[in-house]
Amino acid sequence: MSDPLIEIRDGAVELGGRPVLRGIDLTVGPGEVLAVLGANGSGKSTLVRAALGLVPTCRGSAQLYGVPLASFRDWHRVGFVPQRGSSGGGVPASVREVVASGRLSRRGLLRPASKADRAAVDDAIAAVGLSDRAHDAVSTLSGGQQQRVLVARALASGPELIVLDEPMAGVDAPSQEQLAATLRTLVDRGATLVLVLHELGPLADLIGRTVVMRDGRVAYDGPPLAAFADADGHGHEHHPDQDHRPAHVPGMASPLERATRRENRA
Amino acid sequence: MSLLHYDFVVRALLGALFTGLAAPAVGTYLVQRRLALMGDGIGHISVTGVALGLLTGTSPTFTAVVVAVLGAVLIEVIRSSGRTSGDVALALLFYGGIAGGVLITGLANQSAATLNTYLFGSITTVSAQDVTVTAVLALVVVAIAVGLAPQLFSVAQDPDFARVTGLNVRVYNVLVSVLAAVTVTVAMRTVGLLLVSALMVVPVATSQQVARGFRATLWASMALGTVVSVGGVTVSAYVDVAPGATIVLLALAVFALAYPTGTLLRERRRREAPFDAGPGDDFALEPAHTEVPEDHTHQHGDDCGHPAVPHGDHVDYVHDGHRHAVHGGHYDEH
Repeated sequence: MSDPLIEIRDGAVELGGRPVLRGIDLTVGPGEVLAVLGANGSGKSTLVRAALGLVPTCRGSAQLYGVPLASFRDWHRVGFVPQRGSSGGGVPASVREVVASGRLSRRGLLRPASKADRAAVDDAIAAVGLSDRAHDAVSTLSGGQQQRVLVARALASGPELIVLDEPMAGVDAPSQEQLAATLRTLVDRGATLVLVLHELGPLADLIGRTVVMRDGRVAYDGPPLAAFADADGHGHEHHPDQDHRPAHVPGMASPLERATRRENRA
Repeated sequence: MSLLHYDFVVRALLGALFTGLAAPAVGTYLVQRRLALMGDGIGHISVTGVALGLLTGTSPTFTAVVVAVLGAVLIEVIRSSGRTSGDVALALLFYGGIAGGVLITGLANQSAATLNTYLFGSITTVSAQDVTVTAVLALVVVAIAVGLAPQLFSVAQDPDFARVTGLNVRVYNVLVSVLAAVTVTVAMRTVGLLLVSALMVVPVATSQQVARGFRATLWASMALGTVVSVGGVTVSAYVDVAPGATIVLLALAVFALAYPTGTLLRERRRREAPFDAGPGDDFALEPAHTEVPEDHTHQHGDDCGHPAVPHGDHVDYVHDGHRHAVHGGHYDEH
């Protein structure tokens, strides 16, 4: 049996002295498509950032491909799509330049890009359907197109594991379709995906496993429940460990009920 | 040119050439990291370095390099620890640096005039040795800024992603800071400590008006920096004006020309950028779709004057808030 791609044992994370993740045990094997769900502040972004070594764990162990994070060197086997908005500088950068930076994990220092490097960058841009915009400045693209650029950048090194943090947030419909198609192709080729999501949405049929975070702990780990893709379009259950009341039905009913009761009394 | 017979003019031109090449190369990364004023901050800190040199009787250039590098690393440490924002960290060092410099210069019994040659440059008094030092340091800076461009770009563009490609973000950030410090002290004799930031930032601001990519911006700003530096020294050789100030004003004049050009270019590119078509969108309409009812006084085409925007496999013509696509003998609304 091959090593798990991601393995966290008894992991905990503190940010600024406050515990943010506690008691995390997470194993992601080859070919899995895992969605990390949870409310804002539940620690789902921190979970994937800890798995990639972007935030240090203060206890337990975290490994990628069976190697402790501190000594992991095969970064070209990992693709990361951060939340949009965390990136971007004060100087214009073309789509091709941004995607090419995803290839650096395979390029040595002071070595010009090889033919294979350039071909990989072109392929990654084509995979997200932006070949006709390759030489345009990223800042001139729509939000959804910029998100596709970040996905292409993660694909440039040809990784087996791709971690995406909220890839569908604020993405327009054509780009959502394009992203879903790209991810479907990757899954068909046997890639392992870890997606932080607010709702399963257009990706529902791809997801094989869900982890629901609540208050810094894993509250649910298993196949997607029907509740995660419920019909009201809400997408996920906020408190899967509690009674399954419909989420987000606001307290509107009670004042009306009270009013009715008063009328009855009168 | 008869001016080239004067050794001091040749030395001044060489000094300007190398500074003009190196300053925008580092400046590009500072602007990308939204630390455009970092050069200025290091310049202020270097005043203390110069004053220390005057006080101790050692070479002010040497002490300025040491103090500037320490200051630049300090700015980076304060910034990356996240307790203080980058601009506040810069402000603290700005004032500390200049106050320290003035105080120590006074202790050294030097006049303000001595300090002035460092604050505003004194390119006409550089020695042959100064030129050699400038050339060597500038070439090292340019070699690193260009040679490590892919790594430095990635780290400045998206530090989190850069870490997941295995780059040591902190090392590269400190490297940029040290390069900036070296550049500032190299440029000290040319444009002076108070104006050096202009030579790092203004050519970059100018280039990015017209460039679409990072590399294009980097090369264009280096070319521009060289031209205005050499141009500024040449002008000041004929007209009796301060070379440092002339260089900076020349750079700003080029920016003033590039800005409207850039605005026009960006507007045009925005108008002509292809409309996004999802993978499932084949633009097929219901067979019974309605034609655009509007009368067209002309046939849309390459020369009709309406922006022709690619949309998937065809072209939409944009006019009066419509996107009209040719379909058989009529137009469809897309």
